[in-house]
Amino acid sequence: MIDVIEAARAAGVGWLSLFAFSTENWRRPDAEIEFLMHLVRRVVRKHAPLLHARGIRCRFLGVSDPRIPPGLARDIADLMTLTGRNRQMTLTVAFDHGGRRDIVEAARSLIRSGVSPEAVTEESFAAHLPFPDTPDVDLVIRTSGEQRISNFMLWQVAYAEWVFPPALWPDFRAPDFLECLHAYRQRERRFGGVLPNQNGET
Amino acid sequence: MTTADSPQSPTAGAGTGDHGTGGRDFGGEPLFGPGSQFHTLFNDPRWALAMIRATVLEAAHPQIGAALIENSTFVVHPWRRLGNTFMSLRRMFGADDHVRQREATRLNRMHARLHGTDARDRPYDAMDPAVRAWVVATMFESAVTMCRLSGQPLEQKTMEQLYAEFQAFLAAMGDGAGHLPHGLDEFWPYYDRVIAEELENTEAMRIILYKLFDHLPAPPVLNGFPALWATGRALAGPVVGAITVASLPEPFRRRAGLPEIAGVQTLMQGAYLAAGLARFLPEGWIKAESIAELVTLSPDSDDPRARTIAALRDQMKRAGALMRLITPLPAEPEPATATTAQRSAEEFFTDVLDQTGDGYLDWPDLAAMARELSSRLDLDEPEETRLYNAYADWWRELQTALDADGDGRISAREYAAAVPSLAGPALIRVAEVLFDVTDKNGDQHIDADEYRALFRTAFHRDTTKTGETYSRSAFINDFLSFMSARRRTSPYDPLIAEA
Repeated sequence: MIDVIEAARAAGVGWLSLFAFSTENWRRPDAEIEFLMHLVRRVVRKHAPLLHARGIRCRFLGVSDPRIPPGLARDIADLMTLTGRNRQMTLTVAFDHGGRRDIVEAARSLIRSGVSPEAVTEESFAAHLPFPDTPDVDLVIRTSGEQRISNFMLWQVAYAEWVFPPALWPDFRAPDFLECLHAYRQRERRFGGVLPNQNGET
Repeated sequence: MTTADSPQSPTAGAGTGDHGTGGRDFGGEPLFGPGSQFHTLFNDPRWALAMIRATVLEAAHPQIGAALIENSTFVVHPWRRLGNTFMSLRRMFGADDHVRQREATRLNRMHARLHGTDARDRPYDAMDPAVRAWVVATMFESAVTMCRLSGQPLEQKTMEQLYAEFQAFLAAMGDGAGHLPHGLDEFWPYYDRVIAEELENTEAMRIILYKLFDHLPAPPVLNGFPALWATGRALAGPVVGAITVASLPEPFRRRAGLPEIAGVQTLMQGAYLAAGLARFLPEGWIKAESIAELVTLSPDSDDPRARTIAALRDQMKRAGALMRLITPLPAEPEPATATTAQRSAEEFFTDVLDQTGDGYLDWPDLAAMARELSSRLDLDEPEETRLYNAYADWWRELQTALDADGDGRISAREYAAAVPSLAGPALIRVAEVLFDVTDKNGDQHIDADEYRALFRTAFHRDTTKTGETYSRSAFINDFLSFMSARRRTSPYDPLIAEA
């Protein structure tokens, strides 16, 4: 994982998001979840100094479930505090994330703010999503040969290009990432007439 | 030899009504304000050590010890207490006679509420003139001792002037002469006698020596850095305690059974000497006033220094986050730390209700809240009594509702079992009275100045529609949601829970 982050940063990618754990993943067996939480915590702690040293701002999308162990929640909060001012690259880790839930939450927040239905635009709606400064996603890399969206950042991937490398995520390394980036550069992006947003990668 | 109560300077002999004379002096030197001995003392770093020592000697007096144990918030809110004491001393020893008189009246009103019986059924009374004389005696003697211990004993004349100033302080409190000996010659036998005959190894003294410094909570500005604070405290706490013990009079140490630790005597003298050397620092580097304000400063206040500190906190927070991330994980999982908007009943009990920190909710806890609010708002009569009465009514309401075992006080368990049925009519009454006394100009709105007097910060809240004022209903709502719904992040947190 860390060498993919390094490769992305070196290639000049400004926004990188990783899908670590979805809201649906809570349905997995307890033992597996516990192992996963441990793993995530170890990874966060192991790489925190390097991420900070590289000027990478780390953010976690989701992270609202009370089942997240307090130790991990603390480390996540610490990592966000530590790297909050970095601007070299923004790494968004979707953890306990669900794209639909984010949209529902945004709708709730919108209704609570009391705007009239006519005043709601795509932009004003997007402002209620978590981390509204996140630009539209340009490229989604779906590893493991799977070809589904899995409730990932549904709003932001509207005009994304997709690639489906066969490598499993644990085997997915920097060269694989650069290959995907190369594939992306060959694509002709038309946005159905919509102007492109900033560059961003997934 | 001129003494303080010579006809030209009717200081120690001054009665209650004698104020505003302005011309009091000691051999041409003013007794209060710039030029007085106390004024020089105030910014002396040694004074901090001397004040701790004086406090221990006060707490060792059975009456004062009992009053502290029963009523004081110094264990739970030592910084707030320190800030209040400091402000009070500044008013009492300042140049303005009117301010001094007003402060003396306020202190007397406050002390008049502090009386009762101790654990052994002996009465205590904070208005007892002999007790008050002892407080002043310990401050004077600790100032003299502080100079002796750091190798710069006071000259006889300076010592006499200082004594006259402390006598004048007692006189300004309205106590007649005679409770402190007239001259220095008589003072020392008096002092030795109290040490030998009256002082005891009180619980309050033990708490100050052995518990306060080991458990001293971080001052509000350092609230975000528990690990940093705990580390510094673990090193400094026992040292401060040991230094203070070593500086106490030998006969008392022997009688109270306080330990003699090899080398601590030297350490103690070294500490006084080192603190004394700070006088060679450039002027303005050490200002007791700035330090006292700093430790009691709330990080959310809009004081410019608070903003600097906020920036510093930000950096420290990141450093703290990094520290935690690179520290190897402990074998045992850490206990969960609640950071929700609502406190648990237990947290609210210890953070807000149990002001004296004895594990029970009792009248002194609520009286401490009333006392803090009164001094924040600088209340005079009859507002102060109104506020106290409202709190007293609330106490009766709480007692009736919550004291399940009928022991006259409310334990954390009794409280937790009964919440959330807390917002009774008497609490609403407290909110109303608090609104009335905060609303100084009585226009039914709390404007920016009135708000600042209470919370020491400008409006942060959503002042939608109401403009820059705080209406009665909004104020009462917020107060009730703080007191009964235990909501965090309100301006009441720095006011009542922290510090």
